[in-house]
Amino acid sequence: MTKNEQKKIFESWLDQYRGLVFKVVRAYALSHTDQNDLFQEITIQLWNSIPTFRQESSVSTWIYRISLNTAIKWVRKEQKHSRAESIENVEFIWEDGGTKVDERLAWLYEEIHRLDEIDRSLILLLLDGFSYKEMAGILGITESNVGVKINRVKKYLITKSKK
Amino acid sequence: MEFNEMKKIWDSQNNEPLYAINEEALHNRILSKKKTGYHITNTSELLLIIVNAAAGLFVLSVNFSKPGMNIYMYLLAAWMLFSALYMLVSRIRRIKGSQQFDRSMLGDLSHAISMATYQVQLSQVGRWNMLPIGVLCLLGLWDSGKPAWSMVVIAIFFAFAARGTVWEHGIYKKRKQELEILQKKLKAEG
Repeated sequence: MTKNEQKKIFESWLDQYRGLVFKVVRAYALSHTDQNDLFQEITIQLWNSIPTFRQESSVSTWIYRISLNTAIKWVRKEQKHSRAESIENVEFIWEDGGTKVDERLAWLYEEIHRLDEIDRSLILLLLDGFSYKEMAGILGITESNVGVKINRVKKYLITKSKK
Repeated sequence: MEFNEMKKIWDSQNNEPLYAINEEALHNRILSKKKTGYHITNTSELLLIIVNAAAGLFVLSVNFSKPGMNIYMYLLAAWMLFSALYMLVSRIRRIKGSQQFDRSMLGDLSHAISMATYQVQLSQVGRWNMLPIGVLCLLGLWDSGKPAWSMVVIAIFFAFAARGTVWEHGIYKKRKQELEILQKKLKAEG
């Protein structure tokens, strides 16, 4: 694959699926600086993954897979290293358009952020309509295990919403 | 709130205008990260191979060029060259082994754990390697009649280096344990 072909695929992925990447970024990183950092990490991993994409799964499943794996590693790294880089030195890769934030959506993201890294992945996949079978494939665990975990997380979120 | 309602809230963001990406900045960042993004394992193992091979060859060439035979220095050179060869073989095995993991989250974690295990082993080898190298070095100095203070300086240097390898080993071990906890969490039923 030539660099040009890789670049074309990368741009089309980013164009079509950036919403998906943003969801993962918002679920795993809180501040704008962190979100930019994670967004960069994910896009770098996506770029690197293009030559290994064999079309055995859909592009969205592949992008979710890469994004979640990167986010989980990023969280681990961030827990150890506090950012030395000041906000002034960061070149922001993306900016929000200043759209009004839906309070209920903000609450949902906040609660998702409170979950551990693995439960966060599961709930993102569930909310985006992935089947248990697809989730099991993305996470590499059994469907029954996915079911048990999902039920627990669902119960947690429903209880939280009632408080 | 029921889960279906949460799903509706979640789906509502699909209709929001998407954030603008600064494509030029992103491209620059990808290029710069690709240049500096050498994996720590890759760098440290390459460094160990080069340092051991170069030091072994250097000791060997100095021994050849000097009159008289210092058996300890020959042993030291042989040990270092053997260490470099051992690390090279381990590196080839590691690279071959890294292609066996799938791209699922569990596969990715298993890969990260296998890399961490390799780092732990590599740092352990480096740690124990200090002992024969240090002893052979001191014996070589003693055999060639060097003053006692030079042997003390070398012994202190090796003691510091050994302390450094213990510290490095601890970091890798902790990283491996963290990954194993995450893997257990993922596999746990519930």
